[in-house]
Amino acid sequence: MTPAPVQDGQLLRPATASRLSWLHALPLLVRPIALTMPWVTLITGCLVGTGYLAFLAHVGDSSRSPLGQGTVRLAFLPAVAALAFVTRAPFRPLTQTTPVPAWVAQAGHLLLATPVLAATCWAQLRIMGGTIPAHTLESPPAVYPLIAQLTGWCVVTVAVAACVDRSRYADLGGAVAVPVSFAAIALTWFAPVTARFLTQPPATARSVTITWYAVASAALALTGMAMRDQWRRYSRSRLRRP
Amino acid sequence: MTAAGGGAALHDPDAADPAGGPAPAGLTARSRAPRLRTVLALTRVEASALARSPLILAGLLAGVAMVWPLTGQTEPLWWNVGWRIGSGQLVIGMTVLVAAQLAAGRARRNAMGDLYASFPATAGIRTAGHLAGLAGAAPASLLVIAVAAVVAHLHGAIGSPDIVVLAAGLLLVIAAGAAGVAIGTRFAHPLAGVLGALVLFVSSGQSHLPWSAGLWLYPWESFSDQLARLPGPLAGYPPAGAHAVELGGLAVLAGVVALAVTVRPARTRAWLAAPGVIAMAAVCLAGAVQLRPIPAADLNHLVSEVADPASVQRCTTASQVRYCLYPAFGSLLPSLEAPVSGVMAHVPGRPAQQLTIRQAVSLSLPDPGLTHGHPDQQVSQWVAQVQQAPGSASVAPASAVYLPVGNWPAAGGQLADAHFDLALAAAEWVVHLPGTSAGSGGRPPCVPFDQAREAVAIWLAVLATHPSASELQAGLGTGTGFFVVVQNTLVRTWNYPGMTGGSVMAAGGGAQNTATGYLLASAMASLPEQKVSHVLTDAWGRWLNWRTTDAQLAAALGLRIPGVPATQTLSPGKTIAPGPGSGTQNPLCTP
Repeated sequence: MTPAPVQDGQLLRPATASRLSWLHALPLLVRPIALTMPWVTLITGCLVGTGYLAFLAHVGDSSRSPLGQGTVRLAFLPAVAALAFVTRAPFRPLTQTTPVPAWVAQAGHLLLATPVLAATCWAQLRIMGGTIPAHTLESPPAVYPLIAQLTGWCVVTVAVAACVDRSRYADLGGAVAVPVSFAAIALTWFAPVTARFLTQPPATARSVTITWYAVASAALALTGMAMRDQWRRYSRSRLRRP
Repeated sequence: MTAAGGGAALHDPDAADPAGGPAPAGLTARSRAPRLRTVLALTRVEASALARSPLILAGLLAGVAMVWPLTGQTEPLWWNVGWRIGSGQLVIGMTVLVAAQLAAGRARRNAMGDLYASFPATAGIRTAGHLAGLAGAAPASLLVIAVAAVVAHLHGAIGSPDIVVLAAGLLLVIAAGAAGVAIGTRFAHPLAGVLGALVLFVSSGQSHLPWSAGLWLYPWESFSDQLARLPGPLAGYPPAGAHAVELGGLAVLAGVVALAVTVRPARTRAWLAAPGVIAMAAVCLAGAVQLRPIPAADLNHLVSEVADPASVQRCTTASQVRYCLYPAFGSLLPSLEAPVSGVMAHVPGRPAQQLTIRQAVSLSLPDPGLTHGHPDQQVSQWVAQVQQAPGSASVAPASAVYLPVGNWPAAGGQLADAHFDLALAAAEWVVHLPGTSAGSGGRPPCVPFDQAREAVAIWLAVLATHPSASELQAGLGTGTGFFVVVQNTLVRTWNYPGMTGGSVMAAGGGAQNTATGYLLASAMASLPEQKVSHVLTDAWGRWLNWRTTDAQLAAALGLRIPGVPATQTLSPGKTIAPGPGSGTQNPLCTP
């Protein structure tokens, strides 16, 4: 038997429909994604930094020294470190065999982590704001560049972790991603070439914000590509002889 | 009994000892002999893995990068450099902590506990191997010390290294690794090691943390001391020996905790209590020693060195200039003499007074890290003395040029800038700048607006040090440049090389140079030196007069006054008042 002739596009439509049919399963996936989320790791990282900041705020209150944005950056690092372990997909070879794309679980974890990180950032900024005396002559520095910077740190860390997760070092994805991303953050902070755009001063608040969000966008695109990658890169350097 | 022996050894993922108490006598006799060999073999493997760990190699690079500026930018003072090397060790320590935690938590993290339990080596032996394997981190630590020492030596380090301080840095790395092993035996997740490293990092920046009197109790303080400003080593600051004991005790304590977590037999644990208690006692004792106040006699001596430098400094006279340096800083003399002698050799007239170039210390008091444990009255007395010190006064007397201790560059472009800075300070002193109108108490510096003596001073400094033309030109700034307001006139300024380095405190606080003065001096430098010298010698007193203008000097030399739009008079009735965006008026330099 031969199939009946079809018009252009008629074959495509069922294919597209079947490719996106996993969307119907999304509501069912919410529970397992939430259950496999590394909540303890993430919340531990967030609480450690926030607790440290609260301790400093308590001490600073007694010594009348307000906390600066630099301290908030320091306190947010544990949360960034914890985020590096969120993108890990331990059963990726298994989930790849299901009709649902394998990256859905990782993306779901990241989506679940976002409000936790936002709440942590909000709490830390509140703690910092609480240490600034009410009747100061100078207005406190704007927080939007800081938020952009912390967002950039988070997304860069996720991108590094997602890339490592597709490598032969996947088992140590987070452990590798944290020092790599921290080193990248330190380099951009101290290297004169990048500090001109990413550090305030010499860069203005507006340019710092724009640059960090641009970095975050690029890192997000890289994260998407890494998560959609089906295969781990096990090969060693081509220059090395077998 | 092990799995290899065919018995049921999988009773516990992390312990290979049989359940129900100590091993039988036969087994103990059989296993005790090779136990040491097993530990040594594990040590070799773990040390090798640690030494080759990319994490630690990255930490090594970061440590060297952190120490490099501290040893290579300003004159290296060993009583400061020795402690600063520890900041690089702190970075290595953080990476060693993470690497050790990853290694110690390997079995549990990979869910391979059952497999490891089947090996002849027990969990305790493996932990001992991890702890002894920390020796693999020592090469990185020693390499940082060696690199820093070589760099400091090449830059003419002042003083001598304190072996105890350097050893304490090595102990910091080992203690961090032991802490990593202790964390890894209990918490296998890699985040635990990362958080441990962050805690170590935060403890180094304890300027945010309370109790600055106990700054030496933190693993390695980095920002709150004043070692770089001291004119010499101060006993007990830092208390290096006690700090080394504290770090050693912490390393032993962490090792004991790691073993106590993994070792099963109660008897062995009881044996571990002894070194644990001893380590804890050592840490407490070392802490108490570090909290002891610095002896009042030593602080009195330091304060007198700061407040009255003439009482301790050694002075040398050369080319009618007196150089007074602290005893340890004699090696700096040739570096100071060269630019000043270059200026004096070109001065047409002999100065009436003798120029003194003197070192000064800008000690900041009160500082609980220095003065804790002393009565408030005594501390107030020291503060009052230090406030009168030449280095902390906002204006240097008109008869002396001061060099803040710890700010003189070691080499490179910064040293060349400092040479020009010193030469200009000497030249300005020769032409009586800035005079009595110097800035003080936060007032802006005076401006030698349209004064020929300014161009003469810059010309002398250029002749003495031969800076590059591009560097001098850069002082004009880009675009319209920088301006100050003098007598309701916008005057374009010129920032000389080394102006922001803080290496030199010019006589009278220094003046703010003008673009016209620099451009005229630049034109003078393009003329034959003999011609300029002849014009200056003929009427030296006239050129020193503050009323002699740039135009008069240019005419005498046959030059055209520089045509740069350097000045702009404000519209009638408009004045500059203090306030946001308008700034304040700078005074005119007068005699």
